[in-house]
Amino acid sequence: MLHRRQFLKLGGATAFATLFGGCDKMQRTLIPFVIPPENTTLGEALWYASVCGQCPAGCGIVVRVSEGRAKKIEGNPRHPVNRGRLCARGQAALQALYHPERLSRPMKLSGTRGSGTYAPISWEEALSLLMVPLKKVQAEAPASLLMLTEPMRGHAGLVAGRFMKAFGSKHRVAWDPFGADAMLSANAAIHGIRDLPEHDLANARYLLSFSGDFLETGISPVHYARAYGRMRGDRETIRGKFVHFGPRLSMTAAAADLFLPCTPGTEGIVALGIAHVMVRDRLTAASAVAGRLADDLSAYPPEAVERLTGVHAHDIAAVAEEFARNQPGIAIPGTGAATGPDGAFHCAGVALLNALAGNAGKPGGVSFPNRALAFARYGSEAALLAPAPESGYAAMRDAIDKMRGGAFRIAILSGATNPAFTLPPSLKFSEALSKVPFIAAFASFLDETTSQADLVLPVPTALEAWGDDLAPVGHSGAVTLCQPVVVPFHDTRSMPDVLIAAAGELGGKPAKALPWGSFKECLDKAYGGPGGQMEIALQRGGFFGESSSQRSGARTGTVAFPKGTERPIDGDPKAFPLALHLYPSVTLYDGRGANLPWLQEMPDPVTTAVWRNWVEVNPKTAAGLGLSEGDGVTVTSPSGKITAHVTFNPGIAPDVAAMPLGQGHTRYGKTANGRGENPFALLPAGETYALQATRVSLTKTKLPTRLVRFAHPEGQWKISNLM
Amino acid sequence: MEIKWAMAIDLDRCTGCGACVVACVAENNIPVVGEAEVEKGRLMQWIRVARYWEGEYPEAQAVYLPVPCMQCERAPCETVCPVYATYHNEDGLNAMVYNRCVGTRYCANNCPYSVRVFNWFDHVWEKPLDEQLSPDLTTRSRGVMEKCTFCIQRIRRAKETAAEEGREIRDGEAVPACVQTCPPGALLFGNVADPHSEIARKLKDPRRFRLMEHLGTEPRVVYLKRQKGAGR
Ligand code: SF4
Ligand code: SF4
Repeated sequence: MLHRRQFLKLGGATAFATLFGGCDKMQRTLIPFVIPPENTTLGEALWYASVCGQCPAGCGIVVRVSEGRAKKIEGNPRHPVNRGRLCARGQAALQALYHPERLSRPMKLSGTRGSGTYAPISWEEALSLLMVPLKKVQAEAPASLLMLTEPMRGHAGLVAGRFMKAFGSKHRVAWDPFGADAMLSANAAIHGIRDLPEHDLANARYLLSFSGDFLETGISPVHYARAYGRMRGDRETIRGKFVHFGPRLSMTAAAADLFLPCTPGTEGIVALGIAHVMVRDRLTAASAVAGRLADDLSAYPPEAVERLTGVHAHDIAAVAEEFARNQPGIAIPGTGAATGPDGAFHCAGVALLNALAGNAGKPGGVSFPNRALAFARYGSEAALLAPAPESGYAAMRDAIDKMRGGAFRIAILSGATNPAFTLPPSLKFSEALSKVPFIAAFASFLDETTSQADLVLPVPTALEAWGDDLAPVGHSGAVTLCQPVVVPFHDTRSMPDVLIAAAGELGGKPAKALPWGSFKECLDKAYGGPGGQMEIALQRGGFFGESSSQRSGARTGTVAFPKGTERPIDGDPKAFPLALHLYPSVTLYDGRGANLPWLQEMPDPVTTAVWRNWVEVNPKTAAGLGLSEGDGVTVTSPSGKITAHVTFNPGIAPDVAAMPLGQGHTRYGKTANGRGENPFALLPAGETYALQATRVSLTKTKLPTRLVRFAHPEGQWKISNLM
Repeated sequence: MEIKWAMAIDLDRCTGCGACVVACVAENNIPVVGEAEVEKGRLMQWIRVARYWEGEYPEAQAVYLPVPCMQCERAPCETVCPVYATYHNEDGLNAMVYNRCVGTRYCANNCPYSVRVFNWFDHVWEKPLDEQLSPDLTTRSRGVMEKCTFCIQRIRRAKETAAEEGREIRDGEAVPACVQTCPPGALLFGNVADPHSEIARKLKDPRRFRLMEHLGTEPRVVYLKRQKGAGR
């Protein structure tokens, strides 16, 4: 039995309404996830559905609310992406909501630029500070407005896109340090579709991972972790087998039945070696594809692949045969493979295995659900609502050049991807940004990027705002809706709300392009408004009806053979003996989680380290360098130098040094600052975006800090008892 | 119906992700202690995901072992408490009465699984982080021992709902926070006294074993070994 219930009366900033004239109504109806009994007593908790904003996976959440305060976040059991499950980062979002350092009101710069000293101001003042330069620039040189955000999905993307177009500037840049560029172009080459596939792990019998991180960070970690669990244990007679290739024994690699270490940056070659055996021994289902590729693949016999990758020829042949005989099987590339200098080649090699196995469009294989279909009614604007998950690196470099050249008069910043922290410092992002005369930042926290702004506009968290979303994978065509599940804790305004109001003030084209009174009204119009479909959808957390996106088998007719380009990584192997392997932190992701104490104190799955970053090396390599567990070292690359503590990983290739990204903040508050140095600083400013782009050397250095780990206080067990 | 709660931990599904750890911290008002205290072994988390290495490169392996309180049927911690602060409750759970605890720490000393944690301080939640604190349970003060309760408040909530609706508690209705969130579904919780429950079926799996079984503690947490190879 479903019925509406008027619940929280949301207050919030009324100042804005005064200036812009009723853009926000004071009273709203929130729709609880589970309809409470009529005799609900005060103090009883209700659950409200929304979406997780801690990474781009877009998991559905339900929030337990008691007396207007959020108490706990859990996965939304109805949501197709995560079915009730949630990762550690998603649960910690609660700490962002109630963070002591969260920005509670608008601020203007009171000290010098970049000093981080601000004075609190009212929303009226903040908005007039924004409108004065905006109006001037629109009249004089509209193209000198830059908007730099994290990738925005759903109607927030539509609002931002339309605003910039109507304003007259095409400089809208979205930055994601773990963008899937390489996977997108590989899929375009192999499957003819420039998108991310859906990997149906749950029904697969065999899983090949190439530096895969699908269980920890990756594209949609909760979605794939759940599917992985089902692959292992949900079928009566089948247990899917999992083989992992990669330079490091990661959390995902640890789950594999067989971990076969390979030289960093050779994942695609291993895949081509497997493809070679499949074609040579006529093990493929897609014989037409096999026939066409036979010539190209002849260059990759297992013996040659062994020399390049370090994976034994007999292992390659055995895996190829098992993979072919245990269909449906899936080959999946991970961030480590995709962010090499030749990532597109590696991902294409992996995608080729899926094409050869003929698993496209089949249960237990890969398919390409049409994401844009959910927003097809927007025609060419649909791409604003469902953008491809790209890094935006090229546009970012271009924007940096233009900023440095003085092309921009206003920069509007927003989002958690923090370019001043996540771009190689040699790109000199911060220096270029400082050339922009006026910088306004929408933010919940001051960080390395937002602390350079002249005007800081505090935004609600995902638990306090209206919005919609379409996840990159696992969505089954479902659109997620979010609502303010708690009374907004601070005097905040969402970016779309401010843009809509600003457009109204500007009049003319912008006002026409964003014709709503508020972002809520925009969503109401899009989804049928109060009283309609939208209410039921808000209660459930979105539109999760029958799949509205068609599953398309990929077209495999025009498979282009992946060509490796010679892009050696930076650094002479003599001076820099170890390849640097950078990976997203399981707890802190790209660094955005570093200010949340729960995540800092959650032991890292592989090293069990807390509160600090480290460099992982093989114990034998360390012995050769005279390094012991916990020693301080200086990590030097041709582009930069940082310090860290050594920790051993017995499953890492001997010529590799691995570091998690995410620590090393200097301006992200007291929880995040001073927990080691930022490994992004070691990266060169390459033409294409790459994390596995340089070699390093390690030299012992005395550090005042210690690396704290939390392994197993009960003492070491015999592992054979557990397996 | 008789109730005997039990948990199954399938090591073949656990990926070591730590979602259970943060879920537990969020559910049970567990304080953050900071780097220096963790170094002294004073991490307050009630469930840990132990990671074991074995073998050398290139054959090195890692195995994860989530360790909550085992809720032993014959609990060595209970017998040593001079003030009966830790006792066996009506569902067979090993429960704590915080305000009886006098802080001898005998129980922690006698727990072979090292799952008990002690409040060396009155922990503070910097405002407004305290807004998140669950109203269903207290925060514990200095000198008090604490540990995993199988989220007894969630069990109570489920029991109350069932009682209000005049029915027996359903299988899967009461789950601890860690079980609720575990992404690959490695954790399972239920009433083993109910022969139709999922857990009763799961515990027939020949892969089952219990930690330090030879001690005779009869843990209510049962592990299922990792498997090798494809197929079953
Ligand atoms: S995977 Fe991403 S979206 Fe899902 S719960 Fe974790 S942080 Fe949130
Ligand atoms: S949440 Fe589940 S998979 Fe993750 S560490 Fe805990 S038990 Fe293992």
